[in-house]
Amino acid sequence: MLLGVALDAAAHADSDRSSWGGFWSGLIGRLDGAVDFVTLEDGFARAGADGPDAVLLANWLAPRSRDIGIIAGAPVNLLEPFHVSTAIATLDYVSEGRAGLLAQRLREARAAEGRRALGALNGFPADDRQAQDRDAQAAIEVISRLWDSWEDDAVIRDPKSQRFLDGSKLHYIDFEGADFRVLGPSITPRPPQGQPPVAIAWAEGDDPSLIREADIVFLPAGQGEIGDVIRDSRRGAEGAGPIFIADLDLGPEGPSIAGLVVAAKQATELGAGGIRIVLSDPSVQLGQLLSEVLPGLRDAGFVRRPSGGTLRQRFNLPVAANRYTAAA
Amino acid sequence: MSKKQIILGAQFPGVNNFTVWRDPAAGSQIDFASFRHFSETVERGKFDFIFLAEGLRVREQKGRFHELDVAGRPNTLAILTALSSITSHVGLIGTLTTTFNEPYPLARQLATLDILSGGRAGWNVVTSPGAFTGANFRRGDHLPFGERYERAREFIEAARTIWAGGDFSSHSRHFDIAGRSGLAPLPQGAPIIAQAGDSEEGRELAAGHADLIYSRHGTLEAGQAFYADVKNRLAKYGRSRDALKILPGAAFILGDTQEEAQEKLKAIRLQQVSPKNAIVFLEQVWNRDLSDHDPDGPLPVAEPDISAQLAQGRANRFDNRLETARAWRELAEREGLSIRELIIRVTARQQFVGTPESIASEIDRHVQEDAADGFVFAPHLTPGGFDEFVEKVIPILQERKVFRRDYSGDTLRGNLGLPPALLPDRERHDELVGRIAS
Repeated sequence: MLLGVALDAAAHADSDRSSWGGFWSGLIGRLDGAVDFVTLEDGFARAGADGPDAVLLANWLAPRSRDIGIIAGAPVNLLEPFHVSTAIATLDYVSEGRAGLLAQRLREARAAEGRRALGALNGFPADDRQAQDRDAQAAIEVISRLWDSWEDDAVIRDPKSQRFLDGSKLHYIDFEGADFRVLGPSITPRPPQGQPPVAIAWAEGDDPSLIREADIVFLPAGQGEIGDVIRDSRRGAEGAGPIFIADLDLGPEGPSIAGLVVAAKQATELGAGGIRIVLSDPSVQLGQLLSEVLPGLRDAGFVRRPSGGTLRQRFNLPVAANRYTAAA
Repeated sequence: MSKKQIILGAQFPGVNNFTVWRDPAAGSQIDFASFRHFSETVERGKFDFIFLAEGLRVREQKGRFHELDVAGRPNTLAILTALSSITSHVGLIGTLTTTFNEPYPLARQLATLDILSGGRAGWNVVTSPGAFTGANFRRGDHLPFGERYERAREFIEAARTIWAGGDFSSHSRHFDIAGRSGLAPLPQGAPIIAQAGDSEEGRELAAGHADLIYSRHGTLEAGQAFYADVKNRLAKYGRSRDALKILPGAAFILGDTQEEAQEKLKAIRLQQVSPKNAIVFLEQVWNRDLSDHDPDGPLPVAEPDISAQLAQGRANRFDNRLETARAWRELAEREGLSIRELIIRVTARQQFVGTPESIASEIDRHVQEDAADGFVFAPHLTPGGFDEFVEKVIPILQERKVFRRDYSGDTLRGNLGLPPALLPDRERHDELVGRIAS
């Protein structure tokens, strides 16, 4: 099964600014080649502890790593989907196909903080969960359509016709949702993976349709509901559906390898395709992860060395067809 | 008296007809390898900064995507942050609009870049055309044209409040925001602010708020007039004449002899203005479909249509179409120019053409004679456009002791020789400067 690590982009935010580079560089250097992917949660509008922008941090980490998948968090219901789409596409170019988007949905107190920091603006969702969730879903749709808005062979460099671009291979996405519309096409050519995988963290009360549209869904392990969520999302759905990844905490007392192995086994039996270890304090826990947890999980036969390739390949996702090419 | 030190910026070749794609040496405009080659070269040449332009909608002409020029670019802040990871001293300045961004997310991203780069972030503040670009953004065409600069000024003020850290709030005509930022103190106090507008309002905004001006006045005389005008505005904001650097955009064509450089220039201009591109330029002024005209033939007989606008997504350089058409007609008749020859002539930008010695000497003259503090150069090739410049021109400038042999400062602000950043609260400002210094 797949093995990932969850990090918070604000993990080191309280420390001296000049130490950030060393901290993150050391972290990614040790994780690269050891685990399949890392997620970076963004702290947008987290009062007083917002930390750095996670998508930019991901773009900084990408050239310092060779193998690891980098899934960058962005609160899609409070950002411009156009900017998020081009930034993740750029991450995919910089990492040569290792990029993913963790589509964060800010709700309740965090969403209210976000609205204060942004101001009351047209085109952004109202302060209720239904509007915020609907907006997040719309934003993900826009981000994903923009990735397809250039066909792979749109750049032709044809001296004969004097054209750099074949305009018929660029497409308006012409999205119109409840709160906003976006015309497109993107300014960034289709990224190497075509569609970098989109991940969400499951939350109580989520619409099953949202779960089905994600490529990767993170679920809190150790609770009975993990099996229910997986079963519900697959009921009556066509196609493969998302890959479920169970989240495991190392716990305040340090890791119990036996406990983790049991939890990982349970998650697999319930239909999860991998586990994500949440590192709430990476400077302490990274050593434990690499020297104890990882060998323990390998010995139990749960995880292998990362297989390399694009993030889509590693999640066993098919080559992404371009919706606009297919429609032509 | 020691000589003025030259500031050099390196623009990544952009989405326009100056970037030549037909040359066999032209590489990808989007692959990271191109950005890597480009940034490593200019850092080897000890340039002050890398500069990226912006365009948030694919350009269109006559309702169709413009196909003739290089198109497709990365997200500005994302690629600059990636470049900060593979370089150590060169500054990173991105053009980012105040029209389709909001202060909190943008200030936070610029702060992120400043911290991760160790104090090398810069922001070229621009405003965007409303309806055309707005179609890609949540708020759409939300801003009356006349309020663009007011919003830009208030945006910068709001961003500075956020960069100062802790609880922030900004209440103005365009913003009503509050929150708490956890990123201060930034390595530079605040990122470098550049301003590109050339209008009266743009000059005033720069005099009050900017560290750099990216200008278009590249000739010696025009440059001197602009330089004096802008520097004279600084006193009223309580700023010294050194607090704002003036950097015209320019191109260069290098040859082993003057003649060879001129021959190269001719060939490059023919590539930049292809026959079809010549017609497209003409259509922007005539505002008519001229695709049936021969680019090697004479100008159209008909006058421009002065109703709606044909081209979208590029700076509108031809405000008065009838007047422009009259002047072009006169020039073409006087010198017997075809459409393509005329467009090659009238769309020429400021260029230094010659041998490495003559170009170095011209750059130096512009700076020593107060037409500029330096230049932002845009080569015509991706990604190797600066290879020869770094190999041949930079050593001559260093020999003349007008350009650094190595970076002296740790931050972009330090390398540019600028005073500490302006932050809103004086007391907090002094405290931050103290903390940064210590």
